Amino acid sequence: MEELLEILQDIDDSVDYENETALIDDHILDSFGIITLISEIEEHFDIEVDAAEMTPENFNSAAAMWEMIQRLQEN
Amino acid sequence: MAIHTNLYLLVFLPVVLIIYQLVPRKARWGVLLAASYALYISFSKYLVLLLMATAAFTYGIGRWMDRIGNECSEKQKECTDRKQKSEVKKAFQKKRVVALRVGVLVLLGILFYVNYYNFVAQNVNIFLGKLGTQLPMARVMFPMGISFYTLEAVGYLADVYWERYPAEKHLGKLALFLSFFPQIMEGPIARYPDTSDALFAGEPVKMENLNEGFLRIIWGLFKKMVVSDRLSYLTTHLFTNYKEYHGSFIILAAIAYTIQLYLEFSGSIDIVIGSGKLFGVTIPENFNQPFSAQSAAEFWRRWHMSLGTWFKNYVFYPITVSPMVKNWNKKARKKYGKYWSMVGTSAMALFPVWVATGVWHGAGWKYLFYGMYYFVILLFGVAMEPIKEKNLQKLGIDKDAKWLKVVRILKTWVIIFTGELFFNALNLRAGFAMFFSIFGNFHISSIWKYWPDVLTKGDVVAVCAGSVIVWIVGFLKESGVDIRGKILNAKTPYKWGVYYAIIFAILIFGAYGTGYQPVDLIYAGF
Repeated sequence: MEELLEILQDIDDSVDYENETALIDDHILDSFGIITLISEIEEHFDIEVDAAEMTPENFNSAAAMWEMIQRLQEN
Repeated sequence: MAIHTNLYLLVFLPVVLIIYQLVPRKARWGVLLAASYALYISFSKYLVLLLMATAAFTYGIGRWMDRIGNECSEKQKECTDRKQKSEVKKAFQKKRVVALRVGVLVLLGILFYVNYYNFVAQNVNIFLGKLGTQLPMARVMFPMGISFYTLEAVGYLADVYWERYPAEKHLGKLALFLSFFPQIMEGPIARYPDTSDALFAGEPVKMENLNEGFLRIIWGLFKKMVVSDRLSYLTTHLFTNYKEYHGSFIILAAIAYTIQLYLEFSGSIDIVIGSGKLFGVTIPENFNQPFSAQSAAEFWRRWHMSLGTWFKNYVFYPITVSPMVKNWNKKARKKYGKYWSMVGTSAMALFPVWVATGVWHGAGWKYLFYGMYYFVILLFGVAMEPIKEKNLQKLGIDKDAKWLKVVRILKTWVIIFTGELFFNALNLRAGFAMFFSIFGNFHISSIWKYWPDVLTKGDVVAVCAGSVIVWIVGFLKESGVDIRGKILNAKTPYKWGVYYAIIFAILIFGAYGTGYQPVDLIYAGF
């Protein structure tokens, strides 16, 4: 989780990622931020994020992203 | 029978509402479906068969993918370890992707044929002419709403493929989702979970929904009839006779058309959302104060939101995470660094989105140009983002300063007005001619001297007053004031006071009757 938060801070350090739950719905993280985020988490966590995972629910909060990362690591 | 006509508002809608309420709850979805097909027949006659066939086809493909998924689960039960299960899943996923491809190709193939075949044939014939052969032109009838319901159907199939929800088992429910009468002409393009359950539930008619729906409908009519329809006389005149005008008149034409288009399209969507609300159906919003946007990217998150969301979900993201783009991204990160790989990936994902957004509006070079215009601006925005922040820091400017916000909003307006100038030009050549004529002979004073007589002083006053009212309501909403909620929760005399004020404004200042021609819905033509 720490590693994920670091990645997110790198993209935009003005956001409180631990408490924010509408990163996508409120457009805090835009499509271009997502592009950077995906390549970073794929590299750091050795996972493949495919099109099926690209839903707001998976990216609205750091906790949801972490859950997705763990799920993809198990597969 | 368009949704802004008296026939729809005073006859069709009340009759459907009464029948809907009178029949048993379980049969209400059937009333909505029958009403939807009836309205469709009033436009496109026997082409309703294409709409029905699209629903049946989409339903069949969805069920096909589900069946493969079920077979996969059965096979997986026989597997002993995770690796085996994953291999089985991969094998069945290949079959599902075949089903998805068949579905998407057929749906988009029909859309392409109807919208673009003749345009492509015309351009190909320019080359073929030299070889002495020609592609035949097709006599195509335009099925109303095909650009909207096709995207809904493709989105549904993609979501079923990605297992975001199971395929619909009830053909009627899917058919109603694709053809719901308020949405069929101009959208918004909904996702299946947005409206399908509410459409099928057959909720009884409720007073609060009637109030909310009614207010939304009359507000939409106000925007369209008082401001937009009036402006259409001016913009049609200026865009048709553009050779006689230059300088300030071209700027006026671009600004007037942008206001006309916004109030017409958002007004129609108000009527759509209001109509849905009467039946207890919440249709997704399509606009969110687009002129408060501080960048072109933000503008597209606030303008025709359902189209932008559709392209983001079903084109932009799938391309971004496609193996080809990801591989390129990995190599580029090593070779050129994070910044350039991000710009490159953005370009690869944005390009198809904006080609598609442009030509979605119609077959013509000007629409393709319109798409490319925004592609370049948005990509430039992405590339400049880190540099911009550094420069502001260097200059000691607070990036959240109010004056800077105003500058950003004004800059975005210039981008929007220029885009709409090309969008509404007779053709691309006329668009460029208009654009370049801005810079010659620019005199503000000539506006009053050569004012075209298509819009009287009274019309101008009505347009300005109407626009200011819409702007104030939008400004309040943007500032967090829920003005609609306040009206709906007000005491009856106040509430009806507002209703009457809007209705009388439409009756007195609306552009209809002698001297006015009814104005068609712009987006219904796309």
